[in-house]
Amino acid sequence: MTTTDISAPAAGKARATPVPKRRPRREAQGPAWVFLSPWVLGALVLTLLPMAVSLYLSFTDYDLFNPPRWVGLRNYVQMFTEDPRYWRSVVTTLTYVVIAVPLQLALALGVALALKSMKRGKGFYRSAFYAPSLLGASMSIALVWRAIFNDGGTVDNLLGTGGWVNKPGWALLAVALLTVWQFGAPMVIFLAGLQQIPGELYEAAAVDGAGTWRQFLSVTVPMLSPVLFFNLVLQTIQAFQVFTPAFAIGAGKGGPADSTLVYTLYLYDRGFVASHMGYASAMAWVLLIVIGAVTAVLFRTSRSWVFYASEGDR
Amino acid sequence: MPGHRTKGFCASAAALVLCAMVAGCGGSGESVGSGKVVLRYTWWGNPDRAERTEKAVALFEKQHPNVQVQTSFSAYDAYKQKLATQAAGGDAPDVMQLDYRQIDQYASGDVLLDLARQKAVLRTGEIDAGLLATGRLDGTQYAIPQGRGTETVAYDVKAWKESGVPLPGGSWTWSEWADAMRALTEKTGKPGATDPGQSEDCFEVWLRGQGKSLYTKDGGLGFTAGDLTRWWTFTDGLRREGVVSPAEQTTQLDGSVENTPLGRGEAISDSNWDAPASGFLALIPSGVALAPMPSGEDGTPGQYFKPSMFLGVGASTAHPKEAAQLVDFLINDEKAAQILGATRGIPVNESIRKAIEPQLKDFDRTIADYQALLEGSLKDPPQAPPSGDNALQTTFQRDYDQVSYERMSPSEAAENYVTEAKAELRS
Repeated sequence: MTTTDISAPAAGKARATPVPKRRPRREAQGPAWVFLSPWVLGALVLTLLPMAVSLYLSFTDYDLFNPPRWVGLRNYVQMFTEDPRYWRSVVTTLTYVVIAVPLQLALALGVALALKSMKRGKGFYRSAFYAPSLLGASMSIALVWRAIFNDGGTVDNLLGTGGWVNKPGWALLAVALLTVWQFGAPMVIFLAGLQQIPGELYEAAAVDGAGTWRQFLSVTVPMLSPVLFFNLVLQTIQAFQVFTPAFAIGAGKGGPADSTLVYTLYLYDRGFVASHMGYASAMAWVLLIVIGAVTAVLFRTSRSWVFYASEGDR
Repeated sequence: MPGHRTKGFCASAAALVLCAMVAGCGGSGESVGSGKVVLRYTWWGNPDRAERTEKAVALFEKQHPNVQVQTSFSAYDAYKQKLATQAAGGDAPDVMQLDYRQIDQYASGDVLLDLARQKAVLRTGEIDAGLLATGRLDGTQYAIPQGRGTETVAYDVKAWKESGVPLPGGSWTWSEWADAMRALTEKTGKPGATDPGQSEDCFEVWLRGQGKSLYTKDGGLGFTAGDLTRWWTFTDGLRREGVVSPAEQTTQLDGSVENTPLGRGEAISDSNWDAPASGFLALIPSGVALAPMPSGEDGTPGQYFKPSMFLGVGASTAHPKEAAQLVDFLINDEKAAQILGATRGIPVNESIRKAIEPQLKDFDRTIADYQALLEGSLKDPPQAPPSGDNALQTTFQRDYDQVSYERMSPSEAAENYVTEAKAELRS
């Protein structure tokens, strides 16, 4: 539409040389492509091409040094039928997701609720609670975490539990806690969602005799459910891909006794330690498919529990 | 709605983001003015080795004013992973320290330069022919051995003496070793040794003591699940008695002396290679001594002299000549040898070794004496391990984790290992 607006006067002025009708359109599109090119190139070169290569590699035996050798489905067959450590990494990751995601969301929601009703110093606390999300993804914090939960570390001294990171039953919890601690992003989103809920709803509920808990269940939760859903999907996807904390706390090997050997860590191990890039690529594609499937399932269940205010209008 | 608050929040959030970005972008100043040739030289080791290496490199830079050397080092495990990633990305360092276990894989993957082509600046004439050949694959010299090393039982002399248990002599069998560890544990209340069950190297010594080997000549597995079950049953038994380190400590081993039970003052001895054992001195100021590894029950020695480590040059280096000069300097320069001492094992260059040996001081002297004690009594080294071994070393440690945390029996874990090893060596 805008194309015609711009091209019309131009065509009018250049009467001396007859201009074919389509040319102005091209001229107008050119700059658009120029400005878009970094992103288009980025998507092609940095995303689509590597994905295609990785898909190809997943059907090969590739040791990083020699040319890939086509092996068909062997990597996938080996993964599902001959590799007990693969299944251990799957179970570890699922356990981690089930521990970390609900804990993190509950904490984020709790803090958001507390902050919402806060009168003074809100800005400070919001920043303070958000800070771990910025810092926590770094290796250095993960190493500090390892030191805190290590044999003779702070937690050991305070609680006398011994080092968590050296106990197969506890190490994964230390990894999860590091993620849970970084609840800043979902918290900010919750806070935004909470501030969208009209105050009249609470007033009406209070008039009807609803207490705080009842108000929370009957007003806050349904009104917040789209935001809750958004956070749930996002954090679940992230949790499936956890790597840094597990890498640092499991000393790069998923130890002790493979208890922190999450999926991406085993993928890294196969690819870069054992030099089986083909196998690692196959693992990556299975992870992609599983994350897609889990997200689809979450979307499906959302129909029964996510409430959009606009639905009532229709 | 708290509009004025939001502004403050944004400001503080922006400040935080900025901090994170600044923190993330620090470091890695690759730029160098004045048109110097920049070489990257990477190696694994401990702070002791770092200090000496830096000194030697500074001397090299003085001798070659047109060259600047950027060094970096880390513990063995981390180094192994980082180097593999760099090599795969075509970004191998110009000069790199390599292990016996890496030669096969790196050479066959065209990561390493053919060093014979740099003969003009890299002299190999004074290196023992047999030792030099360990860096060769299919007739091409891919790497130069840098030192000669062997395994040892390093121990805290003071603690051992105070315990009243007789000090180790010139040789002992595995059962004599176990008895000594039991006595130490009883007298000192600390485990006598690091649990050797996690170490593929110790297993190899034990295996060779029975006339077997890790790998067959054609690169297959040289032992059975039964052999490994017996080894792990032996070490796991000692762990249950409290004679060797508990699982919580064993699992933290990553190839650095700092993370060994001996280094943390939680055991009396540790099995290690002789050169890195110098790192213990910084942790145990009262002194560390070296004893031979235990032999088979009939006295067959299991340990061997091996090229402690190699130096290789990246095939993609832009400065092959300067890189070769650095390798030559580290191996053949007498002043460099004086600085480096025995931190990478006893020097391989014969005349340098003769010149250096009388001057060796402190722990270097200890290592030289220790090797002299073993001279002539050890069997020939095995051929370089097949490339799959690089990954199996880690697998070995992981599978033993399952035993020491009592999640698997020694025979289950051994079956697991053998299955994986066979798959690894086949591919």
